[in-house]
Amino acid sequence: MNAISPHTSAPRVASAGAAVSLDRLGGVVAVLIGVALFVAPFVTYRANRIVAGEARMLLDALPMAMAVGVMSVALGVALVAATIRQPILRLSAAALGLAVIFLAVGRAPGFVTPPGNTFARVSPAFGFWLLTLAFALLVADSITRLRLGPFARLAALAVAAAAMAMLLLSGAWDGLSLLKEYATRADSFWREARQHLFLALGSLAAATLVGLPLGMVCYRVPRIKTAILQVLNIIQTIPSIALFGILMVPLSILSAKVPLAAALGIHGIGAAPAFVALFLYSLLPVVANTVVGLEQVPASVVDAARGMGLSKRQRLFQVELPLAFPIILTGIRIVLVQNLGLATVAALIGGGGFGTFVFQGIGQTAIDLVLLGAIPTVALSFMAAVILDAAIDLARGPSRD
Amino acid sequence: MIEIEHLTKRFGETIVVDDVSLTVDEGTIAVFVGTSGAGKSTLLRMINRLIEPSSGRVLIDGQDTMAIPEDDLRHRIGYVIQGYGLFPHRTVIENIATVPRLLGWDAKRIAARVEELLDLFQLDSAEFAAKYPHELSGGQQQRVGVARALAAKPALLLMDEPFGALDPVIRHKAQEDLLAIQRRLGTTIMLVTHDMDEAFHLGDRIAVMDQARLLQYATPAELLTRPAEEFVERLVGTAERPFRLLSLARVKDAIEPGPSQGEPLPVSATLREALSQLVWTGRESLPVTDASGAILGRISIDGILAHGRQPA
Repeated sequence: MNAISPHTSAPRVASAGAAVSLDRLGGVVAVLIGVALFVAPFVTYRANRIVAGEARMLLDALPMAMAVGVMSVALGVALVAATIRQPILRLSAAALGLAVIFLAVGRAPGFVTPPGNTFARVSPAFGFWLLTLAFALLVADSITRLRLGPFARLAALAVAAAAMAMLLLSGAWDGLSLLKEYATRADSFWREARQHLFLALGSLAAATLVGLPLGMVCYRVPRIKTAILQVLNIIQTIPSIALFGILMVPLSILSAKVPLAAALGIHGIGAAPAFVALFLYSLLPVVANTVVGLEQVPASVVDAARGMGLSKRQRLFQVELPLAFPIILTGIRIVLVQNLGLATVAALIGGGGFGTFVFQGIGQTAIDLVLLGAIPTVALSFMAAVILDAAIDLARGPSRD
Repeated sequence: MIEIEHLTKRFGETIVVDDVSLTVDEGTIAVFVGTSGAGKSTLLRMINRLIEPSSGRVLIDGQDTMAIPEDDLRHRIGYVIQGYGLFPHRTVIENIATVPRLLGWDAKRIAARVEELLDLFQLDSAEFAAKYPHELSGGQQQRVGVARALAAKPALLLMDEPFGALDPVIRHKAQEDLLAIQRRLGTTIMLVTHDMDEAFHLGDRIAVMDQARLLQYATPAELLTRPAEEFVERLVGTAERPFRLLSLARVKDAIEPGPSQGEPLPVSATLREALSQLVWTGRESLPVTDASGAILGRISIDGILAHGRQPA
């Protein structure tokens, strides 16, 4: 009865007596697993990388014994999800499910592709993704219910990342179309990865350097606060493509008139407008959270600090900023996750990043190339969110009320 | 000695404190009472210049406070407010060490001073030192707040409703503790409250304020027997007046020779406590003993009532 809000523990205790009672989220997960197994295709087979594919159900995608194995494990997970409330058991079941389908999907190309055919492509299909979603939901829900501390959550993330890295390095997935796209672009993949991180993290760093002081000024001088937040709000509402376009004009002029700018690689198109746009988008969360963080410092604490003779500077650095820090960090988390996603769009104006593969893939109707850009972006955002959430918890630590 | 001379504060057209002059003697407690908005907090906050006076001046031991840089001035004056304003991200020890650290004391001296204060406020250092404010009860937070204010041995302590957030039982204990510590350290205290019982309990002198003006500044007994204005009389409470007078006097002031029966009263008890005991036990008189238990004489209802009577 208590799948969505794990923080109210009472109903769970009440229903623990009934041996078999349906768990709401578990029920949804079980249905997803059922659909994925019996209705949706497990992989797609294509004669070459851009023609339309043909769907293969699980039983046609793997050797019989393995297909039955996968099916039984998945059904077992569905049963656990629907009936067992022990979060540890649910977590183990879901992790086992993920491991099994991830390993199994790596075996599909060898089974489906006729021997000797090097043009054929095999990609995970809807059923595989649906199973992944169902298991991942169960993992996320169990971890929430376990109420792991920040270090435990970081450890779980590290384990998951290490397992994924091992899977990729082992070559188990090399037959999949996604990895074939990677193999032909390994060099440019890592170059675009660095560019993507540079755009997202660099603009975040710049926004923090500018936004923190700006937020402090807004806090101290309420009269300019409204004006600055208004302007940043308006910037936030400009669609990203439009903002890139708007920035091209002044940056081209700058590049044409100032030789130094051109020498630094600032042009109307490319990384510069993307960087500036991401920087501008980042300002609002950083500034707004700095102001809110400083404003929520209890008035009595500030009054006592003044009364004890802390100077303005001492008050800011010893009292106000440390107490505002968790909220400022929340702003930085928002910006980081937002920038990792938005940086994809930079590719449209030649700014590079993982978006390059996404837009190339769209142009060539090669869906696996799109995924080669999209999956790392999603993974990075996810990891950034988990890491910063843990950092926020740690920062909040001792002063929690 | 604190001398306040013609202190005035205006916010635009409004006068919040209107030409207040008074003197607080070294080592005494001056309590400021009045309805809310009477200007007593503003007056207090002008002493450590959290609010700059519009005119008038404050002298601490003859030195004009305007001549001292404001942060230095505040390092020398303890300050306790209603919510205490403990730093939530710092432990009890770090909170108490705030001003000594600002003053640049060395670590050893700070540690020794903190230890001394924890001891003085009956906070077991093994248990409380590393705790954060949110882990403390209201009474413990209050004690840490006062300990923090006293850390750098200020000669003057300003307290703005320091007991306002405590429940009545703990509040009484906290007042007793403050009195004991004040007597021991000889600190001069200026305290703002709107609780008349607290004012009579703690104040060597009481300043009554209303609508920005100081109406009367006198000892508790004078305030009861010779109220300067009708407002003072009303604030003091006409029905409470004789009982307040009785609680200001001690059994030794009304002791009579002669024998008596029943549970003896200590000579240090207030007349109010003695009367209460007499009414409760239904006796006309009770014996009085000193601290060692020796009988000194007796105390009678008539003798007590004479002390609560309006002076001729």
